[in-house]
Amino acid sequence: MSLKLDRERMAFTFKGGMLPMTVMELASADPERIREQLAGKLSQSPAFFQHTPVVLSVEKLDEPHLALERICAVCRAHKLLPVAVRGGADPVKQSAWALGLGWFPPHEGGRGRALESVAVGEPEATPDAGEGAEAELETPPGVTSGGRIFRGTVRSGQQITAPEGDLVVVGSVNAGAEVLAAGSVHVYGALRGRALAGIHGDPLASIFCRELHAELLSVAGNYKRLEDIDRRLLGAAVQVRLDGDQLGIAALA
Amino acid sequence: MAKIIVVTSGKGGVGKTTSAAAIATGLALRGNKTVVIDFDVGLRNLDLIMGCERRVVYDLVNVIQGEAGLSQALIRDKRVDNLHILPASQTRDKDALTLEGVEKVLDTLSKDFDYILCDSPAGIERGAQLAMYFADEAIVVTNPEVSSVRDSDRILGLLASKTRRAERGAEEIKEHLLITRYNPLRVDSGDMLNLDDIREILAIDLIGLIPESEAVLRASNQGVPVTHDGDSDAGQAYADTVSRLLGEDVPLRFHEYQKKSLLSRMFGGGRR
Repeated sequence: MSLKLDRERMAFTFKGGMLPMTVMELASADPERIREQLAGKLSQSPAFFQHTPVVLSVEKLDEPHLALERICAVCRAHKLLPVAVRGGADPVKQSAWALGLGWFPPHEGGRGRALESVAVGEPEATPDAGEGAEAELETPPGVTSGGRIFRGTVRSGQQITAPEGDLVVVGSVNAGAEVLAAGSVHVYGALRGRALAGIHGDPLASIFCRELHAELLSVAGNYKRLEDIDRRLLGAAVQVRLDGDQLGIAALA
Repeated sequence: MAKIIVVTSGKGGVGKTTSAAAIATGLALRGNKTVVIDFDVGLRNLDLIMGCERRVVYDLVNVIQGEAGLSQALIRDKRVDNLHILPASQTRDKDALTLEGVEKVLDTLSKDFDYILCDSPAGIERGAQLAMYFADEAIVVTNPEVSSVRDSDRILGLLASKTRRAERGAEEIKEHLLITRYNPLRVDSGDMLNLDDIREILAIDLIGLIPESEAVLRASNQGVPVTHDGDSDAGQAYADTVSRLLGEDVPLRFHEYQKKSLLSRMFGGGRR
């Protein structure tokens, strides 16, 4: 779409983007051990391994030199496409570049995101693939870790916040009320007020509700007003998530 | 110990005072010793609706500030023996009320009465919060229109957080929805919100539905609570509301439009 709008002479435009990405955090540098584990995973959830791009995180490894080429080969053999390496010393950075991979500095937060969200981002991945892949990765941030459950109606003038994790509302959020979460917002009722997910900037946070009449929807600072919402979606059960820098609203099947 | 019931709404002009007067009258007619207190200091109205405006000497503020005794301020209703009115002051403002003062008055009244109805002022400020603070139950008066429903929603939020029960973590205030000025014909034509929409948004139990009725206006102007007009639809609807408040199971009436039969039109009988 953007190509049409651009001037004819421009061959491309640079755009900032946040894409869901699977991080493969290595606890071992031994290619054989990685191969074994991948083989097991592949048989469990084949749908996950569809030339899925992965970032190899070597932050937890304390080795200056890595058999990066062999590790990449093992990944490719199991239909994972390493696109970049995160962390590691200078030799690691150099060999990543030599292999045509990108290099990212070590992650400061230290925690990965729930792979659950990644599975949502991959239309071709089946649900069980997501679960299978998730099992041995880091615990997803959610209700159990700093999240909040509110039972009842969130009324006009009230504000319910989950500063860490997800917010679950078992009831409706009425007009003039506001629900906020660092993670996702789940409303098991009508959403008539304002819902803000990813208030600390988490682009993978989402909003779910059983009946959409929201005054305002926002994920990581990107928002839509009631006026901007497709009228056909009003009253429907929907999920709201970031698609590039646009909020996408889709009916829940 | 009396049961303290606040009649509140957030929005003004929806029928709080009319409802407080009608329900207090209904409770008293059913044999309960009842007092209704006007919390709308500065905009005194309850005495007019109750038809006792010429008998007001002392008021709630006088009692709270120690200028008069409670028994001096209480006005006995002329029509129903066990009904009393505690009027508001017209010359003061709501800052004249104190939490301790209100508590003392309610504690004293609690010993003598079965029911204490607090007629709240509009708004969500001090006056409204003092009226609801000590309540055991709340009757939230709502008109079938969007702004009234939203204000009621706001009040329900305050009832759940800014009351003694909420602050002490005691049992929640029992909240009842009272819909007034309901006109089934205008609901059908889409001018008014319908009953189910209101109930769905506010998500509390419906205690009564009062139809839009000329009887209400007449009652207000005559200073006779509409409950006394047993022939009128509004009077009957308030009587039903009182029955439900007393725990009886009464079917809902007046929520559907019924064409008048030829006979009732000819003889002017039935509902007025």
